[in-house]
Amino acid sequence: MVHLNRVHLEEKRAYWAMVMPAFALYLLVMAFPIILSIMLSVSNYSGGKMFGGEKWGFAGFSAYARVFTDPWFWNALKNNLYIVLISVFGQLPLGFIFAYFIYSKIVRAPSFWQGVLYVPNIISVIVVGLLWQVIFSPHGPIAEIVNSIHASSFQGQLKAIFDGAGGFSLSDDVIKKILHLAGPSGQAMFSDPVPELRDLLASYNGQPISEIYTALSNLFVQKWSPAFLTKTDIAMLPVLFVILWMYTGMYLILFLANMQKIDAQIIESARIDGANEGQVMRYIILPALSGTIVNSAILAISGSLSSFALIFAMTGGGPSRVTEILSIYMYNNAFLGRPNFPLANAISLIMVLISVVLIVLTKAVEKRYGGKEE
Amino acid sequence: MSEMIKETKLQKALAAVGRGAVYIVMSLFALMTLYPIFWLIMNSFKTTREFQVSQLAFPRAPTLQNYVEAWKMGDFGLLFPNSVLYTLGATAGIIFLSLMAGFAFAKLKSRATKLIYNSFVIGILLTTQTLMIPLFLEVNLLGLYNTRLAVLLVYIGAGLPIGIYLATEYIKAIPSAVVESARIDGAGFFTIFLKIIVPMSVPVATTLAMLNITGLWNEFALINILVSKTELKSLPLGIYKFSGSLSTDYGKQFAALTIGMVPMLVFYMIFRKQITKGVAAGAIKG
Repeated sequence: MVHLNRVHLEEKRAYWAMVMPAFALYLLVMAFPIILSIMLSVSNYSGGKMFGGEKWGFAGFSAYARVFTDPWFWNALKNNLYIVLISVFGQLPLGFIFAYFIYSKIVRAPSFWQGVLYVPNIISVIVVGLLWQVIFSPHGPIAEIVNSIHASSFQGQLKAIFDGAGGFSLSDDVIKKILHLAGPSGQAMFSDPVPELRDLLASYNGQPISEIYTALSNLFVQKWSPAFLTKTDIAMLPVLFVILWMYTGMYLILFLANMQKIDAQIIESARIDGANEGQVMRYIILPALSGTIVNSAILAISGSLSSFALIFAMTGGGPSRVTEILSIYMYNNAFLGRPNFPLANAISLIMVLISVVLIVLTKAVEKRYGGKEE
Repeated sequence: MSEMIKETKLQKALAAVGRGAVYIVMSLFALMTLYPIFWLIMNSFKTTREFQVSQLAFPRAPTLQNYVEAWKMGDFGLLFPNSVLYTLGATAGIIFLSLMAGFAFAKLKSRATKLIYNSFVIGILLTTQTLMIPLFLEVNLLGLYNTRLAVLLVYIGAGLPIGIYLATEYIKAIPSAVVESARIDGAGFFTIFLKIIVPMSVPVATTLAMLNITGLWNEFALINILVSKTELKSLPLGIYKFSGSLSTDYGKQFAALTIGMVPMLVFYMIFRKQITKGVAAGAIKG
């Protein structure tokens, strides 16, 4: 008995010695900040030394009242919701379909597709954000492609004009046709269009005709300057596109891994019994993956709550705050201008509460679908 | 009979067309995935002037000048070792603490397990980014702002929930008889942990290493509120610097982005299988 107690004590000691380092650290980065944010969200703390500095104390729930009446809070929440929607109705279905193509061997080289489509996930979101910021900017390749299409169609029409005149020519007819092609904005560049354009063309005489084409298209074709990230009513679209671009591969991996867990014999024997592709999908694959699908949706919600850096780098929440999400809304309240720590902490706590709802939801889902997954 | 053969021929033709369509769709998506990355790397070898003139063509006279300047301007010589330290240090910490606590949860009896283990599992969804403002204030309160220790502690703490979940589930599957027979031979729990459990847990440790190395190397949100001194920053913070005042100097910006991207791409090429496995394992419970 004494011996048994000693053994038991040793086990107890070992248990706590092994659990405590992790648990203490976990409390430090999870539990303590939550307590702190509860305290500060109902206080009038305004920065500086927390103890021994300026006095601060209880100030009621005004921070919460302010959050819920702030239209920017609802704007940010709406953007979080958009991210959830693009995940649930974009990434998940696409990832699922791609996974199915690979799983059912409709495409060959499974590891190639998996490997390639997952690549955006391993790049830093800062790199991804800044890269797409350039791509969508007026200096980016989208603008260049569109402008070069414009330019080449313009040059094609120029060629037709000169070909019609039997080669390089400075006749009134040619000049007028070019001016017509240039349109009102092109004509407005001259005070007396016909002679001035003729002088200009004459200065190119003797040079290869392609140079004239280039010069004229540079002069007359208006450069298109895309405003993807500067127009307030569409700025969220490129952000959502990049999120789709980035994370579809993750869901592909997830779904494929779970499809591969399905007993191949079940599908085999269903096929022998005459089940077609659609029936196999509906009665075997989808039910087997229902848990994964619901969990992925919850993962998408939790991912939207924790996302920060991608939008921070790509738009900074702009233009005029329209692409702010909750985390950026919180960050800006704490670090931009005069810090409002009660408000920022209230937002933090609201985000925690949303997460808690999610956890309850996950538990319910696990109970409902739990057994089918493994 | 001949009709049936006809039908299969038609079906075969249809299947071939469908297969072709699938290849086209997936190839387009793959192209859309890889082209921006290729475009970025290609343009990082152009001068800003050449980039402004032409963004789609190959560089006419490839130059490394952007890299030389970006490396200096971004202080990457300082940030690179920091990133390595934070990533490997925190990953090692997460793995060790997770295996140790996981062993206790899985094989040692205690009534506290239910409560503590579940509180870790809850943390899988309760992301630390949500808490960055109170975390910032806490770190200041403890006098740890602008220290490497703060970064390591926060990274380890944030990585523990998924780490402990995976480690515990893995170690549960190791037969208890292994532990019991070692106990009968007189081995202490720490000896059992180090000599038996750790060597048997290499697969789950590998999964955790992949998840955390890829995640922490790219981490931005948390370290952004933990340090402001250049000599303590990590690569993502340094790269972000190129977005502000330097944003029109595309050559340098692209070089900086490439510097931030390439180490992980290489890592991915080497460990693709393990990373993919880790992602599937790490996200299953969401």
